[in-house]
Order: sequence, then structure tokens, then C-alpha cells
Amino acid sequence: MPWQVGLYAAAVLIPLAAFLVEILFIRSLGRLNARIATGAIAASCALSAIGFVDYFLVENRAAFAEPGHHEAAHGEAVPHEAHAWEGSFDWVILDAPQEGRRLAIPLGVRVDGLAAIMFLMVTFVATLIHAYSTSYMAEDARYPRFFAYLSLFCFSMLGLIASPNLFMIFLFWELVGVCSYLLIGFWYEEKPNADAANKAFVVNRVGDVGMLIGLGVLWSALGTFDFREVVAILRHPDGSLDAAAPISYGLLTLAGLGIFAGCAGKSAQFPLHVWLPDAMAGPTPVSALIHAATMVAAGVYLVARFFPVFTPEVLDVVAYAGGITLFIAATIAVVQTDYKKVLAYSTVSQLGFMMLALGVGGWAAGVFHLLTHAFFKALLFLGAGSVYHSVHTYEMAGLGGLRRKMPTTAATMLVGTLAISGVPFFSGFYSKDAILAAALAKVAAEPHHALLFVLPAVGAVLTTFYMFRMWFLVFAGEPRGFPDPHTARVIHAQDEEHALAAEDSEHGVGAAQHDLNPVAHAHESPAVMTRPLVILAALSVFSGWTIWLGLPIGTPVLERMLAYGAPAGAIDAHWAHWYAVGASLAILALGLLLAVLYYAPAGLPFAPSLRLSPARAAVRFRPLYALFKNKWYFDELYAMALVRPCLRLAKACAGLDRLVIDAVVNGAARTVELLSRAGGMFDRLGVDGLVNGLAASVYLAGDRARSIQTGRIRNYLMFLALAVIGLFAGVFAWVG
Amino acid sequence: MSDNLLLTSLWLVPLIGAGAVLLVPKGSERLVKYVATAFTAVAFALALAALAAYVGDARAAAPLAERAASDGFLVVRHDWIPAFHIQYYLGLDGISVSLVVLTGLTSLLACLASWPIEKQVRGYYSLFLLLAASMTGVFLALDLFLFYVFFEVMLLPMYFLIALWGGENREYAAIKFLLYTLFGSVFILVAILILYFWTGDAPAGDFRGGSFDIVKLTAIASTTGYYGRWIQDWVFVLFLVGFLVKLPSFPFHTWLPDAHVQAPTPISMILAGVLLKIGGYGMIRLAWPLAPAGALDWSYVVAALGVFSILYGALAAMAQTDFKKLVAYSSISHMGYVTLGMAAMNLAGGAGYYAYGVNGAMYMMLAHGITSAAMFFLVGVIYDRAHTRDLDRLGGLNNVMPLYGAVSYVIFFGSMGLPGLCGFVAEVFVVLAAFRYSVALGVLAAAAVVLTAGYILWTIQRVFLGRNEAWKGLPDLSPREIGISAPLVVLTVLMGVFPQALILSWMSPSVDRMVAGVASGATTAAGPMAGRPAEAPAIVAEAR
Repeated sequence: MPWQVGLYAAAVLIPLAAFLVEILFIRSLGRLNARIATGAIAASCALSAIGFVDYFLVENRAAFAEPGHHEAAHGEAVPHEAHAWEGSFDWVILDAPQEGRRLAIPLGVRVDGLAAIMFLMVTFVATLIHAYSTSYMAEDARYPRFFAYLSLFCFSMLGLIASPNLFMIFLFWELVGVCSYLLIGFWYEEKPNADAANKAFVVNRVGDVGMLIGLGVLWSALGTFDFREVVAILRHPDGSLDAAAPISYGLLTLAGLGIFAGCAGKSAQFPLHVWLPDAMAGPTPVSALIHAATMVAAGVYLVARFFPVFTPEVLDVVAYAGGITLFIAATIAVVQTDYKKVLAYSTVSQLGFMMLALGVGGWAAGVFHLLTHAFFKALLFLGAGSVYHSVHTYEMAGLGGLRRKMPTTAATMLVGTLAISGVPFFSGFYSKDAILAAALAKVAAEPHHALLFVLPAVGAVLTTFYMFRMWFLVFAGEPRGFPDPHTARVIHAQDEEHALAAEDSEHGVGAAQHDLNPVAHAHESPAVMTRPLVILAALSVFSGWTIWLGLPIGTPVLERMLAYGAPAGAIDAHWAHWYAVGASLAILALGLLLAVLYYAPAGLPFAPSLRLSPARAAVRFRPLYALFKNKWYFDELYAMALVRPCLRLAKACAGLDRLVIDAVVNGAARTVELLSRAGGMFDRLGVDGLVNGLAASVYLAGDRARSIQTGRIRNYLMFLALAVIGLFAGVFAWVG
Repeated sequence: MSDNLLLTSLWLVPLIGAGAVLLVPKGSERLVKYVATAFTAVAFALALAALAAYVGDARAAAPLAERAASDGFLVVRHDWIPAFHIQYYLGLDGISVSLVVLTGLTSLLACLASWPIEKQVRGYYSLFLLLAASMTGVFLALDLFLFYVFFEVMLLPMYFLIALWGGENREYAAIKFLLYTLFGSVFILVAILILYFWTGDAPAGDFRGGSFDIVKLTAIASTTGYYGRWIQDWVFVLFLVGFLVKLPSFPFHTWLPDAHVQAPTPISMILAGVLLKIGGYGMIRLAWPLAPAGALDWSYVVAALGVFSILYGALAAMAQTDFKKLVAYSSISHMGYVTLGMAAMNLAGGAGYYAYGVNGAMYMMLAHGITSAAMFFLVGVIYDRAHTRDLDRLGGLNNVMPLYGAVSYVIFFGSMGLPGLCGFVAEVFVVLAAFRYSVALGVLAAAAVVLTAGYILWTIQRVFLGRNEAWKGLPDLSPREIGISAPLVVLTVLMGVFPQALILSWMSPSVDRMVAGVASGATTAAGPMAGRPAEAPAIVAEAR
């Protein structure tokens, strides 16, 4: 077992140890929990960094070569799979009687290039967010518990990444889910928060049913959960499906769809995307860590891991689910008035981009976007938290002009906005470009899938539009303020859409408590909060760069490192690259133009003289506006088609018990009682009569007990003992 | 201590205790409690000693039959009523020892939870100890007659404990419990008598029937065709109905919600923690091994019934507003996994996958024994304080009773099957085995996890989350209550994290042996049937 396995096992287990200490000694440790948690994740981060350096700079330097080069050198389709450190033990092992092999469930660590990168990303972002939270959560009554939960989450997330098999993934999958549940409902005193937590967990469990199906089908056919063993059984060395594999194509597709259902749940993909926006009820650092950078990306990560197991049909489903998700979420983000909700829908949408990339075969592109997105979305959420920390409202209508009071936050958020919009030299440009190139390659090969390019293209335009809209509304122009306490709640600002109830809000602060002019006493957040913003902003720029100082020539470094470990079947969309760059720039220009026309404040040097009014657009496209505003009515649809029928069915089951089964039982008891009364209690000897008689006599005894009342236990006992002895006597009389 | 004495004292100590508490003079209720607790504690210590002997001794690796024949390690065997070949035959293997320890633990904790009982204390504890003695006896017995005696004796104390110390509607609940169980035990009795009097479809050495010896009958059923396929079909169904009542499974389950709601807290703990397991134990010890071919013939029906129970119990739980009734229905749902795990008999290509199902079923019994006892205890805790179990009136308890909340979260999540806690291991084993048996049933069983999450989380929300001024000032767990819940919480976690080291390493060899016997018996019995149509309808066969 290589030493790196120990290294990574320690990186996983340190946060667990921290969690145990924090939760068991929560009363005595108190606020020290924050330091323990932060120290633990920082230690994991350091270990991950050592592993990362060792993997890419010592053991696998070839990863930096231009893709295509090393493939030529090795001449095989899956050349790098062997480059993984691994070690495991059998968690459960049962002897299989009459069978040569034993069916075991191993737990362990396997770290390849993708895992090494993910480890570093997760621990690094988590460390920053821990540090940020020490200030953001400082006033909270449950401050120690918050950090205990964070530690548990870090352990679960790292365990998930280290998993060498689907079973262990599932185990940690559920654990991150429960951490998410606990943290979404962290302020559980307010019903909406608890509802949101339940919704998140239950919707995820719907996906987990799929996971269980995948687990069950694969295991019962192949007898293993291990990724690599499964792939080895299913595919020839050249990557084509092995027709002789001991699983039918249909079942394999079912397993793939099941696993994807799990991924769709976790990564909030259509049709299971409904929980993530509600999950913003949790504290903002949680939104940044769990619901933007790491956990929700786990679904994408698992699709990447299982890429070689998926049949083409499954990959098409993945692609279309991603495409539909990214489009729907983007349209909803456009009409949100709450800046955290904009980011939430933007996250759903960006996850859709990743899924689409994987679905069309752009393996490296999808994972690449996962990483760049982690940086800029964590940045945006932490920025949003910084804003909230200062103004105590999520409603954009009353904000504006915050750039003067919060220059660092404004500048870093602008970097995030530029990154997510795909402006050249910012990381998002490179990863989105790679996705569009992959989609273009797919559509070129199979023109009937044209939608798979149209959806991300339109989605990207909307992304640029809603992100700049958000930035303009929050930071640009002059502070608008809320007209009066009522409209502080019901938003109706000069350049905003129709009056709509605000459905926030963090801490459950009733909007009535909102300041009329929240910007008036806004202030920049303390350094411990802004420093993570600056670091993440730097990463949001550089993480996408190519070796040519960021110029879009060649493949970005990170994408190369990822492509190095890409499985067989991942496409090389090299030729589409320049077309995609052109498309990206056109998309960017269009999105930016729309945002400026609608939302750029007057007085900016580049402000156009032509202005469009969002309010008028909302009126003109009323049906569309209503559709987007109501989130495409998914919540209503699910409540009507799933939740309420399920509750009705539950009531029916409970009713069946009372009205049918119990009626039969009671009726039978009464009949027996009447019968034996008629015949006399001990008339009918023989087994049948005896048993019935006993039953009835017990019933009568119960009847009488009411009149005699309690306290005559001895009588009861004697009577029943006699009855039982009689029963046995009868049996033996009959038997003998 | 010789094994002879150890095994006997496992059930005799509580029985002596039952007598001893009656001798305590009137008026010294505290002394009664101490005496009773001392007896249950000794019984638990003896159970642990038996476990230690079983785990620590290499001789335990031998099957029961071998041990009975040779050194008599953890086996006791004497003639009792020689005229009918009835023996006083006790023995422990991995399956029974786990349940004996569970019984000891649950009894001790329930005894501690009985502290607030004020009415007729001597009678209560006497019946309580009688119940503990008979339950232990059921798990120990290796003679069908002895088994049946313990099985029936168990009903009486349970009946009185519900009927006299229960809630408002206790009479009805107690009668219902008794009638249901008597109804089920008639089936068991008939099955036992059929096995006894059967004259044989095929030669089996010098075996001529007329035996209540479970070990011998198991060997006969798994290696010979003495009990032909069609009679096994009957025996199996009779056993099955009897034990499904006890388990309980749809459609024989309606006694459970009533009994639980009416029973006092400690009796609910016993009922859920141990008594239901007697149904599962009967399946794993009698129904399947004594009629393996019948089990195989009926497996699809039984597996479907298990899945239906899982879903039905979960749905019915979701509709409840009474906290205790909800927990009772969740028991029905969880016991469905036991049925399913037992019935997922895909024996093609070896019984390795089926072994996961049966191990999962056993693990579910233990895990559910821990979590359900804890859940009923927790319901009792809040009922003592708030005097209501109405879920719509509770709420906000997390802030009032934080320790109570923390304990409840662990237990509820354990019951929900969260990884790292005990329920997960059981559920996942059973569901995996179910997939090997039938993808359709596997999918349905997997779908139940949504319903489980639904009712558990909704319950947590209604009890612990939110704000509720009404419960301000309720005291958190007392030291006694912490003492009762701590072992349950610790076991919930440990059983989820170290299933192999803690339980499976010593339990699964016995389970695997049972699986191998069933697998061999299920195919052997077909041999002598060669002359008749393989799937002869039972009715036709009977008419012969």
C-alpha cells in the first residue's frame, strides 16, 4: 500500500476526529469548536496539497503534455487508469456457502488524478469558508454546533471523493445529504427553513432510490461495486462494450439511469432540481460550500466516475437532463429579485452545463467546469454573504450603489460575474468554451441532437444577462432604498418588475424589520471575510489559464491534467475549439448588451442612450414572465401529482386498517364469543373448540374485569393458567 | 459455570425473580423495584457471559447438531417426557445468542424505564420477569414442544401487562393482542404436529418421525426427502402465518398499533424490542429450515408480502398523528424487511446472495430491537412530561430539551437507515439480496426509502423543530433516562460502523449455515417428488 493512501486516509479522517471531539465536548469547548474545525480542514488541505504535488509533479508529469501527445505515445485507449493509489479493507464479508468466491463489501481509498484535484479543491475552498464563517456566524447562538456540522460535512465529502466503489459512494452520499439537511435547517425555529431541509432530503432520497437500483442491479449481476472492476467486466480494453458481460444491455441501461437519478438528485438536475433554491434557507457559507462548490458537484463527479459504465442511451439522458436544467434554471434566475436566489438558480444552471458536457462526451470539459465553477460560485456566494452581513436584506430592489461602501466585495463579485459570464482571461471562459466545443462536436456528428448546442448557447446568454443584472442592481448606480416598510417586503422599485412577495429570509427576520435604506449604514466586511473573497477571485481568474499567459491558445493546464485521466469514450473536440470561441464571444456580447440596455445605471461612462424597461418587458411577455416567476410551476405540479396523492394513499392505508381489517377482526371476535356463549363455554372440547373457547373466555374475562375491576390478578392468572393447561391437556388427549 | 447451568439459568433467573418480587412485603415498593432490577441485571450479565463463551470459544464454530452429539458446548439436552420424545433441549448458536443478549439488554432497560410505575408494583414486576423468562426460553429452546410452551406462556404476562397497566382503551388492545396471537399459535401448533406425525415420503435413515427435536428435523429437512415437497408447502404456510402474526406483517398486523398505544412505555419497549423478533426468529429457526422446499415454493408470495408490508407500514405511519402509533407502524414497515430478506431466495449459482438477505433480516431484527425500543422510550419520555403524544401539539422541543433532541436524532436517523447507523446495514443487505431475487421487488423495496425519510423527517419536524411556547421549561433527560438511552445510542452507532467486528463475525456463520441448509433442502425435497408433477397444487396433493 503506497504511503499516499495513508496520507489521503488521514485527510479524510481528520475532519471526522474533529467532528467527534466537537460534538461530544460541545458544551465545554464552546467557541473553540471553530478553531478545531478550521484547523482540521486546513490540515486536510495541506495533506491534499502534498498528494496533489506528488501526483502531478512527481509521478505523472506527462499530465501536462498537450492532449493527444501522450495518447500517441501509449497507443491505448485507457492509458492512465493505472495511476491511482489505493488501499482498502473488507467492511463486511460473508461466506458464500456453496460458492467459490466470497461476496465482500470493501471500504477504502483510491486516489487518481481526478480525485487528487477534487481533494485539493474541496479542502481549499472549505478552509476558506471555515475562516469566513468564524466571522460570519460569530453572533449565532449555535456557533459551536455549526462548526461541528461543517466538520462532519468535510469528512463525508472527502470520503465520497476517495471512494473506490459505488457502495462507499452511496454511504457518503447519504452522509453529505444529512449534513446538508442539518445545515439547511440550521435555523430550524422558522418553519420555512425546516420545510426546505425536509424537501432537500426527501428529493435527494428520490434520487437515492435510483442509486439503490443501480447498486442492486450491478451487484446482483456482477458481484462487485468497484468502479474499475465493473468497467473491466463491461468493456473491452479498447473501450467498446463487451457483449459477453454477465448483464443484459437493458439492465445495464437501467442501472445507469438509476445511478444518474441519484446524481440528478444531488446535483439538482431536472426533474429533481426543485430542492436547491429552497436550500438557500441555510446560512450563506453553507450555501457557498455545500450548495455551490462541493456537494452539489458530487453528482457531476459521480457521472464522471461512472462515465464508462453508462450506455449511449444513458449519456443522452444525462445530456438532455443537463440541457433542460440549465435552460429552465437560467430563465428563472432572470426574474429573481433576491440576489441569493439568483445565485442559487445560477448554480442549478451551471450544474446543468456540466451534466450536458459529460452527456455529450466532453468528459474533461464537464469536470473542468466543475472546478472553475467551484471557485467562482463559492466566491459569489461568499460575496453575497458579505453583502447580507452588511445590509441584512436579500432584496435587490432596495440596494444599489454598494460598490462605494463595499469596494472589495464589489470588485471580487465583479470578478466572479466576469468569470461565470465567460469573459476571456477569466476561468469560466475556458471551461464554458470547452463545453460548447464538446456540444458542437456532438451536434456535428449527430445533427438531430442540435438542441444540445442550442440550449447551452441560449443558457449562456441568459447567464451573462442575469449575472450582470445582479451586479448592476446591487453594486452600481445609487442606493435606491425601499419606499416604505410595506414595500420593503413587497418589492416595487422604479426599475423592477411587478410587486411580488419576498420569500426570504435568512434568520427569518421579518421584512418589516428591514431598513428603509439598507445601504445607508452598509460597511465593508472584516478582513477575515474579504480575504477569502480575494483568494477565490484570484483562482476564478487563473484556474482556467493555458500556459500561454491565459491566451486562448492550446488547452488550459487544468483541463490537460483532467484529460490525462479521461476514460475511454470521452471525445476529443479539438477541431470545434475555435468555433466555440467564436460562439462564446458572440454569446457574451449579446448577454452583456441586453444587461446593459436593461439594467446599466445612468451615469456610467459606457451607459447607452437607449434604455429598455424591465417592467415593460414583464408586461409585454406576461405569460412567459409568470412562468419564470413561478419557477415553471414545478412545486405546484409536484404537490398536486406526487405529494398530495401520497398523503392520500397514506390516509387510505391507515383507514384500511381501521375500517376493514379491524372490522373483520372485531367481527370475528364477536362471532366467536356469541358462538361459544350459545354452546356453553367448555362444551366443545377438541382442539378447535378449545382454542375458540379460550379466546372467547378471555374476552369474557376481560368483560367481567371491568365490573370487578383490577386488583384480582391472582384470579386472572389462575384462570389463564388453567386455560393453558387445559389446552395442552386437550392437545395431548388428541395426540395420544 | 457449566453450560448446563448457564443455559438453564438464563431463563430460570428471571422466573425466580418473578416469584421473589411477590415475596417482598407489601408497602416496600422501592425494594420491589430494586429486586426486580437486580434480577434483570443478573439475567443480562448471564446473557453476556453466554455471548462471551460463544464468541470466545473455538468449539462454537461447530454446528449445533455436532455440539449436541459430542461435547455439549452451550447445549443442554435431557429427556423430559420420554413417552412423546419430548426433550428439555436448549442450545445457543449465533442466531439465538444475539437475540438472547438483545432480550437481556431490552429487559434491563425496560425495567429501569418502569421506575415511574406506581400501580400494583409487585404484580407488575412479577409479570414483567415472567415475560422476560419466557422470551429467553423461546430463543433457547431446541425442542418444538418446549418452544411452544415458552411461546404460549409469554402471552399471559403480556396480556396482563397491557390489560392492567395500559392506557384508556387497554382492555380492547389486550384482548386483540391475545386473540391474534392465539390465532397464530394454532397454526404453529398444527405445523408442529404435522411434522411430528408425518410418516415420510422418502426414507431418511432410521428416522421415522415422532420427533420434536428442531436440530434433527432441520437436518432431515435439509438432507432428505422425508418431508415431501407438498407437505412442506403446508408446513411452511402454517408456520408462516403463525409467525407473521407475531412479526407482524400485513394483513395480520392490526393488533400492534393498538397494543403499543395502550401498553405502558416499558412494555412497548419489550414488545417492539423483543417480542416482534420472536416472529422473525420463528421464521429463521423453524419455518425456513424445517420446510425449505415449501419456503422456496412460496418465496415470491412471501417476498411480495414483505415488500407490501414495508410500503404499507411506511404509508400508514405517515398518516398518524399519534407519536406512538407512528412508531408502531414504522415497526411494521421495518419488519417487512425481515420477511423480504428471508424470502429473497435466489439460489441459482449458489446461495451467497441469499445469505446477504438472511443476514440482513437478522441484522434488521437486532437493529430494530435497539432503535424501536429507544423510540418507544423516547415517546414515553415526552409523554411523561407533556402528557400528550399528539404530533400536532408537540414541537420546538429541540430548544427546550437539547439532549433529548440529540438522542432522538441519532435514534431516528438510525431507524431511517442512515449510513453509519445500524438500520442502514440491515436495509442495504436486504435490498441488495432482493435485487438478486427480483428486480421489480428490489425497485419497490428501494422506493420505500423515500417514504421512510418522509415520515421520519416529518416527525422530527413536528416534534423538535419550530417554536412552541407551551413546552417551555420542560426538564431535559434525567440521569436515569440518560442511563437508559446511552447504551441504545452507542449501539445504534457502533452497529452501523462496525457491523462485521461487532455482530456479523460471530453471527453470520450460523446464519450462513442455516442458509446452506435451506438451499440444500429446497432442492433435495424435489428429488423424491420426481414421480409427481413438480408443481403439484397443494390441494390436489392433499386429496391424494
